[in-house]
Amino acid sequence: MSKTITIDPVTRISGFLEIKAKVKKDKIVKVNASGLLFRGFEKMLKGRSPLDAVYFTERICGICSTAHAMAATLALEDAMKISVSLNDSYIRDVMHGFEFVQNHLRHFYLLSMPSYVKISSINLVGEEQYRDYRLPEKLNKKIEEHYIKSIELSRLAHEGLATLGGKAPHSHGIFVGGVTVNIDAYKLEKVKSIIKNIKSFVSTIMREDVEIISKYYSDYFKKGKSYPNFMTFGIFDKYEDPDITYVKPGIMKDKIKYPLDSNKITEQIHYAWYKRDEASEEVDLSKSDAYTFIKAPRYSNLPMEVGPLARLIISGEYTRGHSCMDRNVARVLETEKILKIMENLLRRIEIKENNQKIYNIPEKASGVGLVDTTRGALGHWILIENKVINHYNIITPTVWNLSPKDESNIPGTIERALLGTEINNIKEPVEIGRIIRSFDPCVSCATHLIGSKGNPSVIEILV
Amino acid sequence: MIKTAKRFAEDAVIMVKKKNEKMNAIWLEVTGCSGNIISLLNSENPGLYNILTDMVNLTFNNTIMGAEGDFAFEKFLETLDTEFILLVDGAVSTKENGNYNIVANYKGKKITALDAVQMAGGKAKYVVAVGTCASYGGISAAKPNPSESKSVKEVLNCPVIKLPGCPCHPDWVVGTLAHLVSYGVPELDDEGRPILFYGVTIHDTCTRRGFFDKGIFAQKFGDEGCMIKIGCRGPVTKTDCPRRKWNGYVNWPIGDNTTCIGCAQPHFPDDMEPFVRY
Repeated sequence: MSKTITIDPVTRISGFLEIKAKVKKDKIVKVNASGLLFRGFEKMLKGRSPLDAVYFTERICGICSTAHAMAATLALEDAMKISVSLNDSYIRDVMHGFEFVQNHLRHFYLLSMPSYVKISSINLVGEEQYRDYRLPEKLNKKIEEHYIKSIELSRLAHEGLATLGGKAPHSHGIFVGGVTVNIDAYKLEKVKSIIKNIKSFVSTIMREDVEIISKYYSDYFKKGKSYPNFMTFGIFDKYEDPDITYVKPGIMKDKIKYPLDSNKITEQIHYAWYKRDEASEEVDLSKSDAYTFIKAPRYSNLPMEVGPLARLIISGEYTRGHSCMDRNVARVLETEKILKIMENLLRRIEIKENNQKIYNIPEKASGVGLVDTTRGALGHWILIENKVINHYNIITPTVWNLSPKDESNIPGTIERALLGTEINNIKEPVEIGRIIRSFDPCVSCATHLIGSKGNPSVIEILV
Repeated sequence: MIKTAKRFAEDAVIMVKKKNEKMNAIWLEVTGCSGNIISLLNSENPGLYNILTDMVNLTFNNTIMGAEGDFAFEKFLETLDTEFILLVDGAVSTKENGNYNIVANYKGKKITALDAVQMAGGKAKYVVAVGTCASYGGISAAKPNPSESKSVKEVLNCPVIKLPGCPCHPDWVVGTLAHLVSYGVPELDDEGRPILFYGVTIHDTCTRRGFFDKGIFAQKFGDEGCMIKIGCRGPVTKTDCPRRKWNGYVNWPIGDNTTCIGCAQPHFPDDMEPFVRY
């Protein structure tokens, strides 16, 4: 006897996700993960002013908009052959750092913790759908208090971003040529103070909380294992100094590191609601077998995991494993690491005016912006023709993690992590949500790419 | 027994108190980036915790609610039979009967964003469109609008209070909610926006207005001067950004040496581009 569990909405993620899991003898034997939002950003971007891509693509995602500002800016600077001063690069990385911290704090406490800790004081969060809450009352209450405290700190992370970038979400300060802020002593001091406050919380309270969760839910070090394939486009990797460096672009496959070669990225649409001809691609909801708006990207024909755990494994700083709980732990360790890097970047920032110029848009040019962001590897590709955007292409981190099966029926990364999972109580399949959320999926972002190998001009995006 | 009865009474008092004090609310994310709920998380005094425990009884929101699946969507359905405020975050995709955006699969039935907005919109005491996508279609409806996204008002036959902004400032939501709960519908302009927050243009109260009056104009981001000649949309955009500012009231786009891109305007982004004119 088998039973299919459908969870839709999978809440406490960004965007719209459905999971269908077939359970046989208490084990998941088949999974379909479906991204259920299509807006079509690639079609919208065509014909617009190239410089508008920075603020336009931010609006793909409300929780990680600064990531898109970074990747769009890098792609435009590549196309327009603009280099950025070291000082501006430091400031920009501090802004991006704040986006990581905001995301990780919100993910760990607001999105992830209610699966492990009863948050009884808020009706919306404390609904008791499942009973597998294992913390002693005292510890539960302590982490509930930290949940409430974290609201203030993630808000503060966005205040730090806004100090340098105008506002958040959808900030303005990261732009072609560097930044738009004219940094001064007050702004620097304000940002330093914010980082110090957040860091003291993360280094003590958040680290302790993840240790408590790890102890009481230690079986989750065995659940949610995915493939041993990890990828990063690199983050805080442009400098020589180790104290402001995190991870260079790279691949880790079966514990062996390889350099990243973006020409090895391909994609498939067998199970996605798209049809293709030589000239274009359209949505096709009537396609048989298809179950998602997300395509199946592959690196050397392999599904990849991206995100905090992938980065820490590739940088050599985390070796314990790649389970559900390893992902939760990695997210906390990374938050602390990034705050340290931000502090070290701030020490180097000089009081200088920005380097903004009047930009001439080239008649024809193409550029690539590859950068790791909160949820993993993010790529923007731009093709400019007649001074406007001819093609704009985005591959987001969640498209890697939430990929459907490919043409060979090889499941995507999250699908793989769910397969084989033992469901303790079929009426309360709490395991599924915990494993999915350990990847921090963002379906708002889950774009797709088209195209023959590595030719960015024919890779397109659908968001 | 006495103790139990007393306990019941106490619970009832608490429940009545709760019922009297807090109206139910649904925050429905639909075709967009979910940026408005993230912006709400940035609210300060009241912060999110106070909003959820003192102001309204939020029963459904995809991003923060504890429940998932059918159990979660039942909270949505149960709320429809009560007095509640519907807050919509995002535009409403209508292409292929709304199937470009599914928000739930309830007992085997797909619920599109369009279904959910119409189910709740018809029963809500107040409908609030939070953000530019919900108010006007926004970036989700940008040309050529592949998902055929529409504003909330276009798919409902009832009054809609519009709180445009990309994202909507948390104070605009919290202030409107506070007004609805305590005093009813705030004074609105012809578009349905509360005059309290959308009464004057950015240009009217801009911190750089003095430069405009003296004829001093910026040529690029970072120059001292009014940015109207490089595309600033402050003269047509109605919000209180210059006076209120963002994120702990520390800054705003023009304060960061960039143009206002008209993100709270009816035809954002199409008629507000280019965002910077060089």
